[in-house]
Amino acid sequence: MIKVEHIYKVFGEKPEEAIRLVKEGKSKKEIHTETGKVVAVDDVSFEVKEGELFVVMGLSGSGKSTLLRCINRLIEPTLGKVFLKVDNKQLEITSLKKRELREIRKNMVSMVFQSFALFPHKTVLSNVTFGMEVQKKEKKYRQEKARQILNMVGLEEWANSYPSHLSGGMQQRVGLGRALATEAKALLMDEPFSGLDPLIRMRMQDELLKLQGKLQKTIIFVTHDLDEALKLGNRIAIMENGQIVQMGTAEEIILNPKTEYVAKFVENADASGVITAETIVRTIPECSLPLQKVCKKGEEKPYLIDEERQIYLSVDGEMRAKKAQISGKDLPIRVIGEEEKIAQEGKEERYLSAVKSKVVLRDIIKIMMGANLPLVLVLSNEGRLKGVITEKPLFQIILKEHAKGSEE
Amino acid sequence: MKQNKLINAVLLAAVLLFLSAPAFSQEIRGLALWEAIKPESKIPLSIWIEEGVDWLAVNLSSFFDSITYLVNSIRDFFFSFFSFFPVLTVNLFGASLYIPVLALVLALVAYLVSNWKVSVFTFFSLVLIFMLGLWQETIQTFSLTLTAAFITLVLAIPLGILAGKSDFVEVGVRPILDFMQTMPVFVYLIPAVMFFGIGVAPGVIATIIFALPPAVRLTALGLRELPVEIVEAGKSFGCNAFELLWKVELPMARPSIMAGVNQSIMMCLSMVVIAALIGAGGLGGEVVRGIQRMMVGRGMVAGIAVVIVAVILDRMTRYVGQVKKGRR
Repeated sequence: MIKVEHIYKVFGEKPEEAIRLVKEGKSKKEIHTETGKVVAVDDVSFEVKEGELFVVMGLSGSGKSTLLRCINRLIEPTLGKVFLKVDNKQLEITSLKKRELREIRKNMVSMVFQSFALFPHKTVLSNVTFGMEVQKKEKKYRQEKARQILNMVGLEEWANSYPSHLSGGMQQRVGLGRALATEAKALLMDEPFSGLDPLIRMRMQDELLKLQGKLQKTIIFVTHDLDEALKLGNRIAIMENGQIVQMGTAEEIILNPKTEYVAKFVENADASGVITAETIVRTIPECSLPLQKVCKKGEEKPYLIDEERQIYLSVDGEMRAKKAQISGKDLPIRVIGEEEKIAQEGKEERYLSAVKSKVVLRDIIKIMMGANLPLVLVLSNEGRLKGVITEKPLFQIILKEHAKGSEE
Repeated sequence: MKQNKLINAVLLAAVLLFLSAPAFSQEIRGLALWEAIKPESKIPLSIWIEEGVDWLAVNLSSFFDSITYLVNSIRDFFFSFFSFFPVLTVNLFGASLYIPVLALVLALVAYLVSNWKVSVFTFFSLVLIFMLGLWQETIQTFSLTLTAAFITLVLAIPLGILAGKSDFVEVGVRPILDFMQTMPVFVYLIPAVMFFGIGVAPGVIATIIFALPPAVRLTALGLRELPVEIVEAGKSFGCNAFELLWKVELPMARPSIMAGVNQSIMMCLSMVVIAALIGAGGLGGEVVRGIQRMMVGRGMVAGIAVVIVAVILDRMTRYVGQVKKGRR
């Protein structure tokens, strides 16, 4: 829905020379000493699909906020194009006239700011109605819509308060509400949660995910916090020095950091909420290979999946788990859904648990503890057996040792 | 960088010293410095200015007359308005106490825009002024101040907005404001009299020139110092320049603008008193008469009345900027 092609931003007057030097491959330091210009964004391209939450992650000074502002042209990009596709119509934002650009900002793309940027002289309600006022919507509609939005972000009782009376988290809810009220399809979020306390930040992240599940906006989210990026992003772009050094899903970035810079970042990241059962099965040979080897087509025979505990699993022709046995006794198989609350306390009864492929590492560990067996079957969405996760590969993955192994 | 500068300065000083060496030994030495200039080589700037002012006074007289008319009308409006209110007489233990209704009205206004303390002060101090027999002069001073302040703000706020928005205007306006502000105030009175004659109008015009800079400056400053993200927020919702100004920037800059308004009004008051020298009348006129006739008491009493008016105006306008911030 939003496409960015070869964006450059050079600060300072007459940027042409700096651009020329950039294209010649000179470093930003050299350019700065030679011309005094700062290259903030350096040849960035990406595409964000409709309904996607795209995170741009980078440290301060990496150009991420500048890049974000180039998309709605709060900062004019020096070079490059930005496209916005709405209802099968493709608009080139970078070539729009001022008037047309204002229409886009009014109706298509709204923004949330790090410092909340609420209007201190307006009440919470009129902050939320602001965008609709600019859209010239009727007063009755504005009031109704604003109430609805405040209800959604949980602030209906604060409608007539002023922003200075609200806590940081509440203020940012107003900021979010203000952006949502225009019904823009795309949201640009510039480190919206960076100014909040850690606990509030996590709660806001959860709420954003919940809202996003409902509203399916196209979001570009800028942050300097890797854990936030991993938690929120459908895809993540990591920026360093004005360039995107790696782009991909959270898993891809954690498992295969492309540069040393990314690797350093990822080193201490919490991967347990990111890596899925599917990935473990795919990246670790011991988890998937033997099953394929043993189960021939049309055959139904027990296969030994755990030698130490003597666990056998019967599989039918379509790779559906049929029956499990432990030391000769029947072992029930329980498929644990993604939504289902995962029991933590160890029960007396033993069972073999199975999970769908999108279940994350953290939950797999909980399931293993609940079942008193360090063994989990991985099923595809259709219920076909894809692999078995045992404790050893799990530890490997937590220590991220597999990454080296899989690259070789 | 710094070393280079130092070397340059030393070299330049050496060259200058060398070139001017003959002068030290010639007959100029021994004369007082101010005698060094011969009368015929003096720049006749003062004559040029006089000629220019004369030319303007003659050729633009009808223009100045129209301004005089405008200023007088505005002042008359305020004066008639204030004179409209009657005075109540109360007999208290045999003595009569006079309570001008205007004092009640202003006390009410003070209560609305600030608080009850200011309101009480306004009422009693105005009654005091009446009992001192300076009511007429006070009303005159009030109307003069409001006239000057009104015209000042009508000119200053739009100019301040322009200067806040455009670097070009800012660069052009700043030296003019500096000039207006640092020029000794009495100097304005001379050309003002030449253009507008003796009376209210020249006093008001001189006052406007004197009181304009702070309002322009603080308006421009208020607009320039807004948080970047808030202005960006306004833009990001598709505001055009006017909407941005009206809905976001001016309300946000309000405290600064109101500080400018307050300062301008106070400067108007102080200048209106000085303008009595050229016949603007009011409390300043009493002060001037006090000086001319060496009447300490008369001058002092009028001075006290000026102070009271100043406090009332200051407290009233000071709180206007804060009330609407919504922090009550």
